[in-house]
Amino acid sequence: MKRKMIVLLILALAICSLPGATAEKKLTVISGWSGPEMDAFMPVLKAFEKETGIRVDYQIYRAEDLAVLLPAQFNAKTTPGDVIYMWSWFITKHAKDGHVLEMTGSLKDADFIPGALDAVKVDNKLWGGVYTGKVKPGFWYRKSFFKKHGLSEPKTWDEFVALCAKLQKISGVKAPIASGNGVGWPLSDITEHFIATYAGPQVTYGLIDKKVKWTDPVVKSVFTDRIVPLLKAGYFSEPIEWTMALDLWWRGDYGLYFMGSWITGMVDNPDDLGVFSLPGCEGIVFAPDYAFVPAYTKYPAEARKLLAFLSTKGQEIQVSTGGHIATYKVPLNAYPPVDRGVASLLKGVVALPDLDDTIGGEWQAAFWDQLKLLWVSPGRVNEVLENLQRKAN
Amino acid sequence: MGQTRGRTLFFIPALALLALFVVYPVANTIWLSFFTPEGEFAFFKNYADVLSQPEIFDPRGFERGFPYGALIHNVIWIVLHLPLTVILGLVFAVILRDIKGGAIVKSIVFLGMVTPMVVGGIILRFLFDGNVGIIPSVLALFGFAPRTLTAYPDTALFSLIAGSLWLWTPFSMVLYSAGLETIPDFVYEAAVIDGASPWRIFFNITVPLLKPVTGVVVTMTFLWVLKIFDIVFVATMGGPGGASNVLALQMYMYAFREFNPNAAAVVATFLMIVALVVSIPTFKAAGGEE
Repeated sequence: MKRKMIVLLILALAICSLPGATAEKKLTVISGWSGPEMDAFMPVLKAFEKETGIRVDYQIYRAEDLAVLLPAQFNAKTTPGDVIYMWSWFITKHAKDGHVLEMTGSLKDADFIPGALDAVKVDNKLWGGVYTGKVKPGFWYRKSFFKKHGLSEPKTWDEFVALCAKLQKISGVKAPIASGNGVGWPLSDITEHFIATYAGPQVTYGLIDKKVKWTDPVVKSVFTDRIVPLLKAGYFSEPIEWTMALDLWWRGDYGLYFMGSWITGMVDNPDDLGVFSLPGCEGIVFAPDYAFVPAYTKYPAEARKLLAFLSTKGQEIQVSTGGHIATYKVPLNAYPPVDRGVASLLKGVVALPDLDDTIGGEWQAAFWDQLKLLWVSPGRVNEVLENLQRKAN
Repeated sequence: MGQTRGRTLFFIPALALLALFVVYPVANTIWLSFFTPEGEFAFFKNYADVLSQPEIFDPRGFERGFPYGALIHNVIWIVLHLPLTVILGLVFAVILRDIKGGAIVKSIVFLGMVTPMVVGGIILRFLFDGNVGIIPSVLALFGFAPRTLTAYPDTALFSLIAGSLWLWTPFSMVLYSAGLETIPDFVYEAAVIDGASPWRIFFNITVPLLKPVTGVVVTMTFLWVLKIFDIVFVATMGGPGGASNVLALQMYMYAFREFNPNAAAVVATFLMIVALVVSIPTFKAAGGEE
């Protein structure tokens, strides 16, 4: 009897120690949002926990770091997270290698703005979910600053150049336009806006598909006729770390700042914000965030459920916190007033994918780096374009 | 015989670990470097292709200025950083040896060494920033226009080298300080009695007797500079336009941006060969005779 009891006890202990036997199911979400962006995202995860009873942990990794970490993890058939926010090119690349769980059937195209899911499809199969997007509408300014100095939004290119000239003469202004710099992406956003405006949306698509060359006369003229003269005139500041540039611009060291719509959640008084696109703009970058479920998640069903939640109901919660534009069909009254204004800028223009995020890989890093060179040495524009084309080949 | 067998047995675990974690990865990296990303055996053609890329060696730089390619940048780094580190470390060690409060000053200098390189890279970024950096502010006092020195191709690499001196000089200072303690006092006393000047004592006694330490400092500094990555990655990411790119960063780019492990293996093997070629003779010259 005693021996039987011992055997039963050992058996019970063995069952209890089996992985997942008594452990609470816990999913891990990874994205690059930290600080205020993370604070705005947490209510979304809390809502999922409340609805499903599944616990969710959140971890912060920048996409640049994930690009290094994940391939090694995937080769070892493991993953640091169950739902990971990442560049779309990275998701489709690793989907082809079998490292991503298929999401076909979990999300319907009709529930999203047209084409929103295309970036994470391969051969009509869906490999990820789409989240809210950030619009990169143009140059932000402080309404109070413009009012104080009698400035107004430009309607033509000449007016834009004249505005820069006026800003340059204002005492205390270091340069008319603050050039944000991180790893290089704020400069790429500015450049993409110039290309979309003065070469047109089709050229942007052509550059993404590699059907248009960076040395093409149309692309080259955007640089030589528009960007380089502004740089040579000193209208752009030298690249400044982008959060520092935000503070400097907000306190009046610079007149304009090109940034995405998330800026509305990063300033003290969003009501003082004004924004305009370059005159004649035909296309604005609307860059959604994408997420995927790695094939090596311990809880595939729950992870899929979470990703579907994030892509749908989660978006509604997220946009209410400001700075995000939904790709899911969310009612307009879910947005704060300032974001309704940003969303309205998209009317009548083509919503373009983010050029460098779509191409990705080494080219993206080269694009950022070459633009940093162009910003301080505009005379080397031909060399920059040749390097970009060489990397694109 | 039994004692030898016992020793061999104790040696096996270390040998196994060494084989698994050092010999195998090194051999595999060399093997990988002979293949194209498509899996074709290319032998040295891979080396020719990778090492002739403008990212590695860009002869156009000799006409227009930076970038010259990661290989030349590493050479510039070694040519400037190595002698400066050795000289500054030795000077600090000698000057601070006997002066009052020398230990405190040494501790302050040593702070650079205990700072993690990634943190050091971030500090460098702000140190050279045109808006908030102390270096451009000081230069402005001498009439230079304040600008972010790491943002311009002609100053980015030199800024990083200057910053790395702050981070690495403490290493040579500590080694030289330890080396100075090993020189017997009677040698100096005899030199003073013989009427030798301080300069003569320094060049004829201190420097020669510190030769083994110099060998270690030179070799370790050379290896550190050869594989320099973290400071560059954090402070400039090799930019602008590759003007501060170095071999280790390019290896990272090949491996984790291009997902081309073969090209990365070529750079890694090249770095390893250079490290071996330089460090073995240096070690031998410095202390081999002893």
